[in-house]
Amino acid sequence: MTDPSPVETDRDYSGPETGREVSRYVQVELHEVETPERESPRVVGHAPASRHLRGPGGGVRGGALLTMLDNVGGLCGGLAALPDGWVVSTNLSARTLRLEHVGPFRIDARVLRQGRASVVTAVEIRDEGAADALVVDGVLTSAILVPENGPPRWARPLVLGPGEPLTEPVPGIPDWLAARAIDDTTMEMPLAESLRNPWGILHGGAVASLIDLTAEHVAGGVTTDVVLHFLAPNRTGPVRAVARDLGSRADGTVVRIEVRDEGADRVTALAIATSAPVRVAPSR
Amino acid sequence: MATVYPPDRHLLRDLRLSFEHGGDRTSRAWMPVAPELFATDGAVRAGALATLVDVIGGGLAAAAAHPGWIATADLTLHLVRAATAGSVQARARVVHSGRTTVVIEVGLFGDADVELGIATMSFAVLPRRDGNPDISTGMAAGPSTMALESSRMHAPLLDELGVHTLDAERGELEVPVSDWSRNSFGAMQGGAVATIVDAAAEAVAQAATGVALTVTDIQLTYLALARVGPLRTRVDVLGVGPGAVTARVELVDTGADARVTTVGRVVATSTLRGSR
Repeated sequence: MTDPSPVETDRDYSGPETGREVSRYVQVELHEVETPERESPRVVGHAPASRHLRGPGGGVRGGALLTMLDNVGGLCGGLAALPDGWVVSTNLSARTLRLEHVGPFRIDARVLRQGRASVVTAVEIRDEGAADALVVDGVLTSAILVPENGPPRWARPLVLGPGEPLTEPVPGIPDWLAARAIDDTTMEMPLAESLRNPWGILHGGAVASLIDLTAEHVAGGVTTDVVLHFLAPNRTGPVRAVARDLGSRADGTVVRIEVRDEGADRVTALAIATSAPVRVAPSR
Repeated sequence: MATVYPPDRHLLRDLRLSFEHGGDRTSRAWMPVAPELFATDGAVRAGALATLVDVIGGGLAAAAAHPGWIATADLTLHLVRAATAGSVQARARVVHSGRTTVVIEVGLFGDADVELGIATMSFAVLPRRDGNPDISTGMAAGPSTMALESSRMHAPLLDELGVHTLDAERGELEVPVSDWSRNSFGAMQGGAVATIVDAAAEAVAQAATGVALTVTDIQLTYLALARVGPLRTRVDVLGVGPGAVTARVELVDTGADARVTTVGRVVATSTLRGSR
């Protein structure tokens, strides 16, 4: 689990834009759906299927889709945890059903279960430009924690825009993360300040993107299925992902990926990913 | 409900599981391959393997959380090869043990140490209450088993669970919560839940494609204990691809205000028999 307390950051927690650079990169805008007082919150996000998020198969990369899932599902879980606490992602699982994308995406998160210590949210990503086709079906589990400066105090219902427009040319995900291959099974990235979340640790979406790139590096396909456990925060960097090929079957190759914060000398995440073979789209 | 847990005839005895707990936050368990555990392709079904995972993972997590107690939050299983003979070995290790969660990784291996797949489980750590079992007394080093001399499967696993098919094309199954499949909390054992989810998805996948697909991935999120029954499955097919079907399965406790107790995402593919 990502257990970031005590919060080692001097960031002001009160601003809704704090630590949202990763959200800005995937250009998620979201709003809380007004629900009757006693019902759990619901959050809906929208994001374009931007060119800079696309992979060699032509569709938006799995890591970007997981970032959207983590972003909207996490905010939904966080709103459910208010006013007592806020959340950090502990694990997610998601299956990508459709590999070609038109966009924009609609990301819909709702609470499946809320306890004292955790919130489970179901998240669907649909392609509004493709007759609302289901793109991703996922579940995000978050732990409820209390930030040092208290939980955020936001006007409700919450609305968050996508942030400032991105400066062209927008780098693709490998360049954005500055991820590079170390050998046939390993990818590594530095921990850039811009990739930290409001807790001051590497954003879960960036971890998911590194895992996606590593699965692609090892299996050569497109990531269609990810189970990701966040075990500890990435605070120092560089962050390294090592994959092991478990075997192949009709829907792709299954790989186990372990993520380490090399600077802190510890394992920070464990993932199982399925990588489907796809035809590489012709260059545009 | 039986007063002694587990009763003489019980899923965890009849699977003839055996265990060996290491002192280094690891455990190993073995399950003999029996025809009663087979899916339609003649290999051990994912639900039976999930039961092995659930038992060893739960025991190891409880030991890691001691003196606290645990509640299972989720279980995932990915298979890459089939188990058709001999026994299946599960090797579990604690990958995280914190104040609020425990995460376990389980590798599954067949004869000749062939890697069959991988599983993960996560658990919420709870304050200990009166009545929670003291796992420290049951985790002695050395081999152990819950099986009695008479323990064995008397019928295919789904029949032993009492699975009744209401509508195969829609994956609607109905299952009682019986003493044979209850856990120590009196609710359906987590692996038995996985088996029902497996069976529902398998039925839908075969109906959707006309091909005998078998379940290779299960991702379960446990939302509430399934205590009353009968339990019913609801299945949505999310995608049909070449040789694979993805479905979302909900398990509803009809005797508890139709509460959704578990949500699962399941992938069924063509058989893993012959996979290298």
